[in-house]
Amino acid sequence: MAKYIAKRILSTIPVLLGIILLIFFMLNVIPGDPVTVMMKEHLKEDVIENLRQSMHLDDPFFVRYFHYVSGAVRGDLGMSWKLHRPVTSLIADAFPYTLRLAVCAALFSWIIGIPVGIISAIKKGTLLDHVSMGVSLFGVSMPVFWIALILQNAFMRVLPVSGVDSWKCYILPTIVLGWSTAGRIARLTRSNLLEVMRNDYIRTARSKGLSPAAVIFRHALKNALIPVITVMALQVSSLLSGAVITETVFSIPGIGSLAVTAINNRDMPLLQGTVIFTALIIIAGNLAADLLYTAIDPRIRVD
Amino acid sequence: MTKRLISTLLTLTLALSMLIPCAVAEDGGKMLRIIEKADPETLDVQLTTDSYCIPLNCFDRLVEIDTVDGQPQIVPGLADSWDVTEDGLTYTFHLHAGVKFHNGDPFTADDVVFTVNRMMDPTTLAKNTDVYERVAGAMDCLNGKADSVSGVEAIDDYTVRFTLIEPCDFFLSLLATPAGAIYNRESTEGAEDFGTNPAVCFGTGPFQVSQWVLGSKVTMVANPDYFRGAPQIDGVTVLIIPDENTQRMMFEQGNADVIDFDYAKTQLQWFMDNGYESQIVGGRRMGTYYLMFNTAIEPLDNVNVRKALQMAIDRQAILDAVYNGKGVVLNSFLPNGVPGHDDDAEVIPYDPARARELLAEEGYANGFDMELAIVADNPDLPVYTIIASYLGQVGVRVRINQMDSSSFYDIRRDGKLPGYYNHWSADFNDPDNFLYTFFSNKNTVGRSVNYDNDEIKALLDAARLMPDHEARIEAYRMIDAAVSHEDAVVLPMYQTEHLFCLSKRVKNFKVAWNGWSNMSYYTVALEG
Repeated sequence: MAKYIAKRILSTIPVLLGIILLIFFMLNVIPGDPVTVMMKEHLKEDVIENLRQSMHLDDPFFVRYFHYVSGAVRGDLGMSWKLHRPVTSLIADAFPYTLRLAVCAALFSWIIGIPVGIISAIKKGTLLDHVSMGVSLFGVSMPVFWIALILQNAFMRVLPVSGVDSWKCYILPTIVLGWSTAGRIARLTRSNLLEVMRNDYIRTARSKGLSPAAVIFRHALKNALIPVITVMALQVSSLLSGAVITETVFSIPGIGSLAVTAINNRDMPLLQGTVIFTALIIIAGNLAADLLYTAIDPRIRVD
Repeated sequence: MTKRLISTLLTLTLALSMLIPCAVAEDGGKMLRIIEKADPETLDVQLTTDSYCIPLNCFDRLVEIDTVDGQPQIVPGLADSWDVTEDGLTYTFHLHAGVKFHNGDPFTADDVVFTVNRMMDPTTLAKNTDVYERVAGAMDCLNGKADSVSGVEAIDDYTVRFTLIEPCDFFLSLLATPAGAIYNRESTEGAEDFGTNPAVCFGTGPFQVSQWVLGSKVTMVANPDYFRGAPQIDGVTVLIIPDENTQRMMFEQGNADVIDFDYAKTQLQWFMDNGYESQIVGGRRMGTYYLMFNTAIEPLDNVNVRKALQMAIDRQAILDAVYNGKGVVLNSFLPNGVPGHDDDAEVIPYDPARARELLAEEGYANGFDMELAIVADNPDLPVYTIIASYLGQVGVRVRINQMDSSSFYDIRRDGKLPGYYNHWSADFNDPDNFLYTFFSNKNTVGRSVNYDNDEIKALLDAARLMPDHEARIEAYRMIDAAVSHEDAVVLPMYQTEHLFCLSKRVKNFKVAWNGWSNMSYYTVALEG
């Protein structure tokens, strides 16, 4: 197991190098000079030249790539051009907000999604099943900004619509972000549970005279939840890489907001930093999902 | 096994989320809560060309600009008075004694010398070097030929002298811009995170930055020892809210005191329709909306074609439709309030019939194709479509080319941008800031105007050096008449009002002299 983990961690190195190369290349080929964007209406050739030099914009592509990678290895992702701060400290400051929101949204989606999926499967074909699946389909299909706007308008008299000053500020963004994932989890739980219920060993359990609750919770659910847990692990990693729209609408200063700032201002170091960070989180999430698989289902072996 | 694993994971995540401290609401009743769409770039005005809101409240300048009797005027700032030699080359400032920085350090002439040198030091990477570029030795310093700016010297603790390389009638106006903020040598020199860390950012201004939660808010608290007297409010909270609907809801909830419609354009109608009309206040923008023609592109190289385009657009109708009629149509590039603005400028008529005639006379009876360029996320797109439809009525087929900001500015710098509609407002109160910026030899290609009237361009170069104020202003009047009328390289559109909605408790709210969003909140009081 330890060997497997070490192998997986080592394999992330070329992936990361490739990601850096790709983003470097992409930012290099898009038209326009970042200094011109920075100066906008202010045309001062002396200043522009001075800035270009300090940003090493005239260095050859691979020289810049090498400098960046050698800095990144030491944990130095450069200075943000727009926010005048080290990118690593910007990410470190933003991550707690994203983490808090991601944890809340994930818990919300599990607490709602799994029971709803189970109930729907048990009550298959009834009104309850149709209603709950309808609501989850609604959650999956509605755009996040729209749900956010509706909830903000509906609850603005009782809940904060912006900021991070108190725990109450997280209620609406948690629901917005958690709803769509809850819908996905509910639908997945339902379909997996229904599939498992058709298996022979469930029939055996039933024929032993076990109560329906015991059949479902002790026998069926264990197997039905394996793919759900994989989805949950991947979902957490995607939530941790920042919810761009939710964070913008609710003014949460997380990784998503940072990425928006970077894109809006053609802030290459910040953009590279957030992309690399996101890549790391996704890689870690995938690894966690694989390991969880083996922990839950002894039939699955990693090596 | 599964159960245990899941419960361990849940406990861990819960515990982890508890560990992260929640920010505690600290705003008292006398805090003014305003909204910005994005974080300030930095508090260091030497390094930014637009994040001036906080610096205007935390720092002072040697002189300030304020609206007196309806007109902008230079008034004393950290300098109580100043003498200018007859040749216009030496400025001696007599500083206010007893002023203290927020950290208690006394303010002296040495801080002024430090501030100027810091701006021109090439390692600072300052963007606002034009404030001091006429000071003797300043450009040598910026270009690495000198270690310090020779033209600024502290005569004694409370007297500082500037020597210029050429007369500059608007030198005081430059010093009054936000970039003229005076820093504290003691706390700023060597402070690497000056501008991003409130703990080392000390000015002399009425407010001091106490907290900056990136992406969330910046808090400024009142400076009780401010040399003009403590502000009437406890401080200002700048909330960072990018979403315009969320801004509106914060105001509705009573969690924000000021809505700036430059940051919430889409919400103005809602405020008008929902009983807030009496709370909406406006201030004149010292600026001009304009349609610029690139005179190097055929057939816009023909002055009569440009004049025809000027006559084809009903500017009053656009002002009424898009800006709720809040403003006045302009017939000169210099707006009301800027010295040199001509109240009696010839009226540019809306006369599509005459425009068609003119085009036919020049051989364009069937019109022609032209392009207008716009940055993709520019909210002025509706105006572009209206302009295109007006021009379409005289046979000119307009293609609106939406491009990303870096392409827009890059192409413009090369002089190849087709026509564009935009707004220019005064950085400092002088006609040079408008006319030299667009039509001078130095800038006309960079602004994609490609103005080719050498006589006027020579006059522009000469005007900035004229020591006689009246003669200078007269020269700018002539230049304005040339670019707006005789040569018709630009269509001045209108001067609008900058609108805000205030909560009922806000009193003494005074829009900045130039109508910018960035303003001082020193005079504001809160009721109740």
